[in-house]
Amino acid sequence: MTRPASHWPRALAALAAGLAVAVALSWAWLRAASAGGYEERARAEAVGAVTRLAKAVEQAGAEGDAARAALSAWQADQPAGTVGRLVIVSGARLEGSTDPRDVGERAAPRRLLRDEKWAYDQAQRLRGIVLENAEQGFARAEVEVERLEGRYALGAPVRKDGAVVGAVEVDRPAKPPPAAPGVPAALAAVALPLLALLPLRRAAARRGPALAAALVLYAAGVGGFAAWALRLAGGGGEGVRALGLSAAVGLALVLFVALGGAARARAALVRHRVAYAYAIPAMLGMLVLVFFPFLYGVVLSFTGQTLYNTSAPLTEIWVGLQNYVEILRTFAFRMPDGSPSFYWTLAFNVIWTVTNVSIGVSVGLVLALILNTKGLAFRPIYRVLLILPWAMPNYITALIWRGMFHRQFGVVNYARMLFGLEPLSWFDETFTSYLTALATNGWLSFPFMMVVSLGALQSIPADLYEAARVDGASRWQQFKAITLPSLKPALVPAVILSVVWTFNMFNIIFLVTGGDPSGTTEILITQAYKYAFQQYRYGYAAAYSTVIFLILLAYGVFQNRVTRATEGI
Amino acid sequence: MRNRSLLALLAALLLPGLASAAEVVVWHAYRGAEKSAFEKVVAAYNARPGNPNKVTTLAVPYDAFADKISAAVPRGKGPDVFIFAQDRLGGWIEAGNTVEPIDFFLDDALKARFIPSTLEAMTYRGSVWGLPLNYKCIALVYNKKLVKAPPKSSAELEALAKKLTQRGAGRFGLAYSYADYYYHAALQNAFGGRVFDAGKPVLDASENVKAAELLQAWIKAGFMPAEPSTALITSLFNEGKAAMVFSGNWFLGEIAPGIDWAVTTLPALTEAGGKPMRPWTTVEGVYVAAPSKNKDAAFDFVKYATDLDAARIMALEGRQSPANAKVYADPKVAADPVLAAFKKQVDVAVPMPNLPEMTMVWSPATTAMGSITRGGDAKGALAKAQAKVAADVANLRKSK
Repeated sequence: MTRPASHWPRALAALAAGLAVAVALSWAWLRAASAGGYEERARAEAVGAVTRLAKAVEQAGAEGDAARAALSAWQADQPAGTVGRLVIVSGARLEGSTDPRDVGERAAPRRLLRDEKWAYDQAQRLRGIVLENAEQGFARAEVEVERLEGRYALGAPVRKDGAVVGAVEVDRPAKPPPAAPGVPAALAAVALPLLALLPLRRAAARRGPALAAALVLYAAGVGGFAAWALRLAGGGGEGVRALGLSAAVGLALVLFVALGGAARARAALVRHRVAYAYAIPAMLGMLVLVFFPFLYGVVLSFTGQTLYNTSAPLTEIWVGLQNYVEILRTFAFRMPDGSPSFYWTLAFNVIWTVTNVSIGVSVGLVLALILNTKGLAFRPIYRVLLILPWAMPNYITALIWRGMFHRQFGVVNYARMLFGLEPLSWFDETFTSYLTALATNGWLSFPFMMVVSLGALQSIPADLYEAARVDGASRWQQFKAITLPSLKPALVPAVILSVVWTFNMFNIIFLVTGGDPSGTTEILITQAYKYAFQQYRYGYAAAYSTVIFLILLAYGVFQNRVTRATEGI
Repeated sequence: MRNRSLLALLAALLLPGLASAAEVVVWHAYRGAEKSAFEKVVAAYNARPGNPNKVTTLAVPYDAFADKISAAVPRGKGPDVFIFAQDRLGGWIEAGNTVEPIDFFLDDALKARFIPSTLEAMTYRGSVWGLPLNYKCIALVYNKKLVKAPPKSSAELEALAKKLTQRGAGRFGLAYSYADYYYHAALQNAFGGRVFDAGKPVLDASENVKAAELLQAWIKAGFMPAEPSTALITSLFNEGKAAMVFSGNWFLGEIAPGIDWAVTTLPALTEAGGKPMRPWTTVEGVYVAAPSKNKDAAFDFVKYATDLDAARIMALEGRQSPANAKVYADPKVAADPVLAAFKKQVDVAVPMPNLPEMTMVWSPATTAMGSITRGGDAKGALAKAQAKVAADVANLRKSK
């Protein structure tokens, strides 16, 4: 019997990996926090400077020598390298400037030059924002701040008699932020616990003590660094959360390596390297084309992103669960303003799916049984004709059906009139509007079911029926005891598939009813489309789509159970 | 490696000389005659003596065009110049880094070149963002065999339309997409109605209610077909079963060769105190893309494309209605009855709102129009639409 391998090297590796990751993450947070705090103070100072300038210029009458004097007075208190400009929109004038280049021929006042178009555009933009804030009660920032490499570019509107006539624009150097603190401390927090583990080679040879030593030393290293960092950065709930998260990530890594998970994963990778090599392109493709957009959509659903703030970082427009609450809150079929609620749309969607699939299956099955009659003449011709609806692009079919339900010229109303009935405005009532979509989708969906059932019918051995006849079974008994059970393995997957298709059947609803009347025949997917592309509420639409995904996920789990139950047949 | 440094050296030597020469890429969605006319304008621009710039065009399929602009331009992957109607302008401006403001380049002489309402369509938040190229609006198209003298007022229109209607035979005096809010706006604007007032939705303004009630009276009089889709109107007109149609430039290409037709301005509304019907104009603007590296060259082309020579080519060969007002003094253009009629119409037309919130209006407005055309309570239907639009707009603007 060989002596079991010592657990000490593994504990050392686990401690090194965990500490390195946790301390690196904590240190990154510390650096960001200290730079962020500095940046915030510098930014506020710059905004203060430009606001003071705008006020001073306004008091000096916004234009003329008095305004220029106010500008130079302001310049005197500013750090070296600061440049202030006063731009007047009317006539695109540079009214005043402290730019050292603006002397002689370029001295203010003068018309702005081509390469100063940005200054004019900024003044126009600020004027527009102030105007809109006043007219429509928005609260958009009326001072523009842009952080550029080594400087701030700022702009603030200048008013005269209540109206914005121009802007002051300031270019202010930014001092580089102080060096990030704590590199030696971080190195110490990693190195000291490792050094402490070195002499424990013998004591930590067995599994239990090795793990315990690694965990204790990990806690000491990370805890020490976190306490130090929090004291330096001023702490706060956010810091505790960020450092706690880094510690948790590191701890997971320690356990993963120390308990042998890493070794096993590596062994599996090496053993099946060919399989993994083959799978990598597909995995990368899925990652980029499926998982990334999906995760982005889910993240988006927690934000209030709309057309107006697409360029804002997602953290700034984070609203948590608000979108979901808004979607699910009104627990009734109607919203307070009378429009259909989420639950109405969901109920309609479920009814739509169930009725469509039932029609598709029953019509398809009946036609398949007819086509399966022995000795039927011209069978190939019937079969081709019945598959045609499926072969046509469904956009075209949908538009033709919509035309057929026209009130005055549609063929359906024409047929009603032949029987002495009044023509109907099909899209004016929820129920009749639903019938038009149902008819269209029924027409589109039966060929698939027919083809599936026909294939299955033809594979039922004829001797089964013969034996049944010998035993004296009636046609109905034969159908119930032989045909239906033999069709089940083919029909169940087909039904499951067509439920998913129908649930998200965008084209038919969008083109035939368009949600008429008043959005009552909308299904979830068309409603999500409207939120995203008619109302530009991207975050809300993403939340709506996520809810649709969750519903289909629940259905998928249920479907898995059902297929497993039918696998034996 | 050596090649690259050589290239860099060459570039450094040549760049001062090339500073004004630039390649300008233009995206548009024109097809057929409009496309060849526009390409002729571009060729004429490139061939001007002493012109250092080279303009190349790319025709993008219309249905993908707007999304392509929204996706490509802000990331700097788009063209230098693009052409699109003003209805998406507000959205692009709000999204940012798409359309370059061009106020800085404008002077009064340049502004005076255009029909005022088309320049107004290019104005958002008090700044001008593009130059208007062509406009489209609805006017009165009539079958000359059935209508000898087109009606000048709605009283005449109603009398004439009633006379020409035989419902049993499927003949109608007047056919237009009256359930479509875009067409209905012509009536609404005549009463002084509007969709937005200083940026706030006002669908239920009392003028809008009056216009809706006039439409209901017209429907009740029975001289228009029910559920009028554009396909139906085209086929009625082509079979000689619709005497008059309210439609735009796009309709003319679909008229059957056997029909003898003419275009004139929409009648004045007797019910609105004799004020003319004022349809919405959609204006195709030429915009400089904000991330373009050749903005000066791009604007130079924009100016040329909206100038007199270009407008003449587009009017006479592309059969478009240029936004350049001076071109209508050209003898050949003035002699063209269709162009002249649309020019007369656009002089009283109103630019369709270019606010991004306009997309939220269509769906509730269509619902309201459905209820109004079925004879429902006009005031109630508009109030309902107003409530919905106001709520949607508030939801969107919360983030602003």
